[in-house]
Amino acid sequence: MNVAKLLEKRRIQWSELERLCDAMEMRGRTDKSGFKHHQGAQGIARFSTLYRAACADLALADTYQLPPGTVTYLHRLVARSHNQLYRADKFEPKRWSTIIFETAPQQIFSDPCVRVATIVFFGLFALAMYLGRNDAIFPGFAERMVGDEQLAQLESSYAAPLQGSLDHYVSMSGFYIMHNTGIGLRCFAYGILLIPCLFSLAYNALALGTMFGYMARPDITGGDNFFEFVTAHGPFELTAIALAAAAGLRIGLGLFYTGGLARTESIRVNAMKAVPIMAASALLFTLAAFTEGFISPSPLPYVAKAVWSVLSSGLISFYFVVLGFPRDAGEFASQLPAGDQPDAA
Amino acid sequence: MAPTAALDTTIAVVTPENIAFDYQLAGPFRRLPAYLIDLGVRWGVIVIVVVCLAFAGLIASFSGFGSFVLATGFILYFLISWFYGTVLETYFNGRTIGKWACGIRVIDTDGRPISGKRAMLRNLLRIADLAPLVALSSFTTDAAPIFFPTGMIGLLTMTCTRRMQRLGDLAAGTMVIVDERGWRLPVAKVDDPRVPALASFFPGDYRVSRSMAKTLAIYAERRHYLTPARRREIARHLAIPLIDRFEFRTDIDPDLLMYALYYRVFLADSSDEIADLGPLAGFSPLRRDQNKPQGLAGDLAIPTSPVTHPPVPEPTRRIAGGIPDADPLGKPIPRPQAGSEQLGSGQEAGTQQAVTRAEKQR
Repeated sequence: MNVAKLLEKRRIQWSELERLCDAMEMRGRTDKSGFKHHQGAQGIARFSTLYRAACADLALADTYQLPPGTVTYLHRLVARSHNQLYRADKFEPKRWSTIIFETAPQQIFSDPCVRVATIVFFGLFALAMYLGRNDAIFPGFAERMVGDEQLAQLESSYAAPLQGSLDHYVSMSGFYIMHNTGIGLRCFAYGILLIPCLFSLAYNALALGTMFGYMARPDITGGDNFFEFVTAHGPFELTAIALAAAAGLRIGLGLFYTGGLARTESIRVNAMKAVPIMAASALLFTLAAFTEGFISPSPLPYVAKAVWSVLSSGLISFYFVVLGFPRDAGEFASQLPAGDQPDAA
Repeated sequence: MAPTAALDTTIAVVTPENIAFDYQLAGPFRRLPAYLIDLGVRWGVIVIVVVCLAFAGLIASFSGFGSFVLATGFILYFLISWFYGTVLETYFNGRTIGKWACGIRVIDTDGRPISGKRAMLRNLLRIADLAPLVALSSFTTDAAPIFFPTGMIGLLTMTCTRRMQRLGDLAAGTMVIVDERGWRLPVAKVDDPRVPALASFFPGDYRVSRSMAKTLAIYAERRHYLTPARRREIARHLAIPLIDRFEFRTDIDPDLLMYALYYRVFLADSSDEIADLGPLAGFSPLRRDQNKPQGLAGDLAIPTSPVTHPPVPEPTRRIAGGIPDADPLGKPIPRPQAGSEQLGSGQEAGTQQAVTRAEKQR
C-alpha cells in the first residue's frame, strides 16, 4: 500500500480524534464534538481507542516511511490527546491530612536543616533582644538596627492599653496573614539560593529581637501592653518563620549535598522532602494569624493570653516531638508511649 | 545525551502506551509574555473584587463593613499573589490564563500532567527565580524605594538546563512545553503531468532507502519556496547519481527527476502507471533513446542545458518493470519547432506549453 492511500485512510480517524480533542479542550467532555456516538462514556471510550490508534500510527511511522511533515503532525496530535487523556492530579484533602499529621512532624524532627534554621533564628533573636535591652552596655544598638522612626512608632502604638472592636480584629487579622505568611513564603522561596534565605531569616530575627529588647527596657512606656500583645501568637509565628526557612534550606542544600544523585535530581528530591515542612509552616502561620487577629488585641485578661501561649507552645512541642519521634515499626507507636520508645536514631 | 539526539528544543517523551513523541520546549521569550499576562490578570481580579466589595459596602452602609472589605482585600491579595498559579495549573491542566493565551503548558519531566504538589512548589519558588531585586533608587537618588525583579536567576538557569527549566521547575521536576493548536496535515499534491510520466521510467524493483525517502519528502515540501534554478542546484546532488544509475539523458531537469521519484515513492500506485500518461505517452527520457525522434522529451530537459558530464557508453542493460521506453506504436512523432523545444523554466509554464502542443499535434 502506498503512503497516499494509507494517509487517506487514517486521516478520517485522525480528524475525528482532533474534533474530540477540540471538544475536550473547550469543555473537558467529549459531548458536542459533532458526532452522535461521542456522548458520555461512549465518547471517552472512542477517544481512547482513537488515541491508541494514533499512537500505533506514530510508532509505525518509520516503517511506513511517512513524510516528515506527517510525522510532525502525528507527534502533535498524540501530544495533544495525551494531555487530554492524562490530566492533572487534583489536591486530595485526605492525603494532605496524612502529610500534615504524619509525614511533616517526622521530617521536622529528623531534619538537620530545621535545627540549623531554628538555632539561627532563635539564637539571633535572643542575642538581639539582649543587645537591644541593655542600652547602657551597648548604647545605640537598637536605634541603628531598627531605626529611630520605627522605634518611636512602635512605642507610640502600644502606649494605650489594648482594646479593639470586632472590625478592628478582622482587618488586622487579614493584614497579618498577608504580611507574615508572605515573609515566611519568601524565606522558603529564597532557600533555594541559600544566602538570601539565611539573610532574610537573620534579618527578621535581629529586627524582631531588637524590638522585643527595646520594648523590654524599664523606661519604655508601652512595654507591658506590647508583651501582652505578642504573648499569645509569639510561639506560633516565630516557629512558623523558622520552619519556612528550614524548608527552603532543605532545597538549597540539595544543590550542594547531593548524596550521590545528579544535581538536578537532588534538588527535585529535596524539594519534595521540603513540601511537608512547608505545609506545617503554613498551618502554623494560619493559626498565628488568627490568634494575632482575634486573641492578641482583645481585652481578655493577661492570664488567658498566657494560658493560650503555653497551650500553643505545648501543642507545637507535642507535634514536633511526640508525632515526630522517629518510629520504624508502626505497631510500637500504638503500644508504647511515644517518649518511652527506644532511640531509633 | 545520546549522540543521535537532535540539537534543538524538542524533548522526547515516552507515554504509558510505550511510544515516544516529541514536545517542543518553551523558552523565555514565550514564557515572559505569559507571565506578564498573568500578572495583569492577577491585579485585575484583585482590583475588581475590592471595588465590588467597596460598592456593596457603600450600598449596604452598615458599620464595620469597611474593615471587612479591608481584610478581604488583604487576604485576597495574599492568596492571589501566592496561589494563583498553583490553583490554575492544577485545575486547568497545567495552564494559567497567560499560558493558555501564549499556547504553552506545564508538564512533568516524564511527560505526565503536573500534580498539585509540583504546581505549588514551582509557583512558590518563582520569587527566587525573579531575583535579584533591583532598587529603583540605585539609578536615581530621589526615586521611591521600589524594587523591581530582574529575573536573572531564572533566565540563567533556563539557558543552562537542557529542558529550559527555571529553578522552580528544577525543584518541582516540571517543564514548560509549547501546546500547538493551529496545525494541519501537510500532503503534497502533484499536479504536473510530466511527473507521473517520468516516474514510470524508474525500474519497478527500485526501492529507495529510508533516509532517501525522508530526504525526498523534505525536498517536496520545501521546493515550493525555492526558485527553479535553486531547485535544480539542490536536486542535482542526488539526481546525478540517479541519472548515471538509470541511464537517463544527461540534460534531464534534476528537480523534475527528484519530484518524480517523490511521486513514485509516496504517491504513485503500482497498478495505474500507464493509464494517466495522456499526451506524454510517447516519449523517453532514457539516454539510448536520445537520438530517436520524440515528441515531448525536450520538456524534461534543463532549459539552458548547462550539463557538462563526460559521455557515458551506451547502456546495454534492460530496464526492468516493463515500462515502454519508446513510442509503443513505433510511429515517429514529429519533432516540434526548434524554438519551442527550450521551454521556460517554470513548472506551470512548462506544463501548459506541453499540453497545448500536444493538442496541436492531434
